Amino acid sequence: MPLLSDPIFGQTMITLMAAIVLVLQITLVAQKSLVSSIYVFALQSFLLAAIAGTIAWFTGAGHIYMAAVLTFLLKSLLLPAILIRLVEQIRIEHEMKPLLNVPVSVVISGMLTLLAYVVAEPLQQQMSFGSPSSLGHNTLPVAVALFLIGFFLIANRRKALSQVLALLSLENGLFLAAISLTYGMPLIVELGVFFDVLVAVLVLTILVGRIREAFDSMDVTRLSRLRG
Amino acid sequence: MALAWLLAIPLAGAAATGAARRRAWMEFIYCLGAGAALAASAFLAAAVLSGGPVSFLNGFLYADALSALVTLLTCAVWAFSAPYTVGYLRGAQPAGAPARLGIRELRLYYALSHLFVFTLLGVSLTGNLGIMWVALEGATLASVFLVAFYGKPTSLEAAWKYAIIGGVGLSMALFGTILTYYAAFEGTGMETWEALNWPFLIAAAPSFNPLVMRLAFILVLLGYGAKAGLAPMHTWKPDAYSEAPAPAAAMMATAMLNCALYGLGRFFLLSARATGPGMPSKLLIVFGILSIAIATPFILVQKSYRRLLAYSSIEHCGIITLSIGFGGPLGSLGAVLHMAFHSLAKPLLFFSAGNAQQHTGDDSLRNTAGGLVHALPWSGAALFAAVLAVTGTPPFPLFLSEFTMLRAGFAQGHAWASITAVILLVLIFSGMFGHAARLLLGPVPDLPAGDRNRWTVYPLAVLSVVLLVLAFWIPAPLSSLLAQAASLLEVKP
Repeated sequence: MPLLSDPIFGQTMITLMAAIVLVLQITLVAQKSLVSSIYVFALQSFLLAAIAGTIAWFTGAGHIYMAAVLTFLLKSLLLPAILIRLVEQIRIEHEMKPLLNVPVSVVISGMLTLLAYVVAEPLQQQMSFGSPSSLGHNTLPVAVALFLIGFFLIANRRKALSQVLALLSLENGLFLAAISLTYGMPLIVELGVFFDVLVAVLVLTILVGRIREAFDSMDVTRLSRLRG
Repeated sequence: MALAWLLAIPLAGAAATGAARRRAWMEFIYCLGAGAALAASAFLAAAVLSGGPVSFLNGFLYADALSALVTLLTCAVWAFSAPYTVGYLRGAQPAGAPARLGIRELRLYYALSHLFVFTLLGVSLTGNLGIMWVALEGATLASVFLVAFYGKPTSLEAAWKYAIIGGVGLSMALFGTILTYYAAFEGTGMETWEALNWPFLIAAAPSFNPLVMRLAFILVLLGYGAKAGLAPMHTWKPDAYSEAPAPAAAMMATAMLNCALYGLGRFFLLSARATGPGMPSKLLIVFGILSIAIATPFILVQKSYRRLLAYSSIEHCGIITLSIGFGGPLGSLGAVLHMAFHSLAKPLLFFSAGNAQQHTGDDSLRNTAGGLVHALPWSGAALFAAVLAVTGTPPFPLFLSEFTMLRAGFAQGHAWASITAVILLVLIFSGMFGHAARLLLGPVPDLPAGDRNRWTVYPLAVLSVVLLVLAFWIPAPLSSLLAQAASLLEVKP
């Protein structure tokens, strides 16, 4: 059987790429510079698009190609470009100053990955090989791990812009879950989600700009006047 | 078709506002749109009552009695708030904001409000749970700018908190929706977008994998719960409600809360059918009681009355959730009634408090000299009536709905939860009543006489009359709409 039509090969490739996506998420946790975080996010999104493309290739489903192309254009090109432009425009410091230091954060991410495997295991066991979702069936724990680490990233970041980035990486986890469980959401829902993600980033970047003007800083720990 | 027309109204309003060059036109468009939407939603409700669920484009748009009710409430709140918005934006703006709003700010406000209503109507008028998520996320994005409208540092802080908590919450709800789709996909083999359509899902729910649906429900509960403001995901609410302009806050506290709880209710019904009603009901009861309990101390010691209203909204969100959780015919009826009555009482509270804040330039409960009712005879009286109404004092109709909720609790064997709720409600009543008395009663203050603006006074009178009439007489069509919506919200084996 030629390699490119062998589902086992496809599954191996998907598992490999999903593993790299997880490593990139932990890289995001360990990353100190804002600009390189944006590049890591772009690379992560590119790999997700590649996973979606691989699944589309092996299943021949048109709407997954569409999702792959959209992910590639939107999340690995357009959004990083918007964010980089914003960083240059408002000339912020590139250091991100997380609340917890890097080694502790990486250990926490490792524990969250373990937790993700514990949560996703019972679900995964029920998916038998050969069922429609067999191609990406090892990626569900990775998706849950991305999701949990994304939460941790949001909590651990002071800079408004790096919280946006964390929210986006969390949504990458959702995309991976959708792709690995059901070969993507139905197209019309997928389009809606993409549209929302795009608008959300635009809204958040406008807000970041205005916060920067009003506070002369993007440090969200300074946003603490409202209490009680 | 009625469904599409209803959605087209706010969208056309947003476009027309974008093109409008004068303040009067924008105000006219806003009020016209609200009136037209109310009429269209009443028409839709009548159609659903006479002919059963309506669907358009293969169920992409769909309305049964429950969604027709939520739609009607959204449009009613919009219609009451439209004239008030006109008056409020003509009045004095808070410190830190531009003293007179320019045409650009007004255009932004009116256009965003139209879009906000459009997304809210999208939530209740789509039959597809995926699109419902998209619409609810859209509602968050439209309302972020309404919260940040004044551009003060505190508004930006509130908007940021709201955007991040809302975004994280909705991503959880999206995960829950994905898992629901997966359960439907696995259980039935359906893989088109129709697999997320409500009539299909609820019919197929017993074949869903219970494990998957349990996880999906927890995620949706956290996600839509955050959007509705259930504790402990409620922290954005006091900030957002106190920083947004009063009419926008009123829309968020009623229409958006209804829409989020409506979404949660749909997922509750699904998972109750897939896993049995035990676990989902218990979770709703726990989150409901927790929300009421967390709101109580903050209401008792509150320093600002705009924030007080937000905590009251957290409490009411808890009451509706609790009532859905109690279940049975009484529980679902209590939830539906409370949703309806709260949607009328809360705007009255927000509008009268907004008038008071605009007149005194401050919303503090501590530095007040009292006696506000002398300066603001109409708004003061309305504020007092509204406080009595939202705390469930008879003769206001919220007494009826809270009583129904408690009866459901006892009937379904949740005596402890019901007793706890009664104690908390009494505490909240005393807190709210004390704050209102300190603010409104007392010697004649050193303030000019207010309530000169018809636009901000007439809606108060109309709302008070509607509330009082509903306490004694619910028109027959509305009553059957409420009954049908309640029976849809009831878990049936």
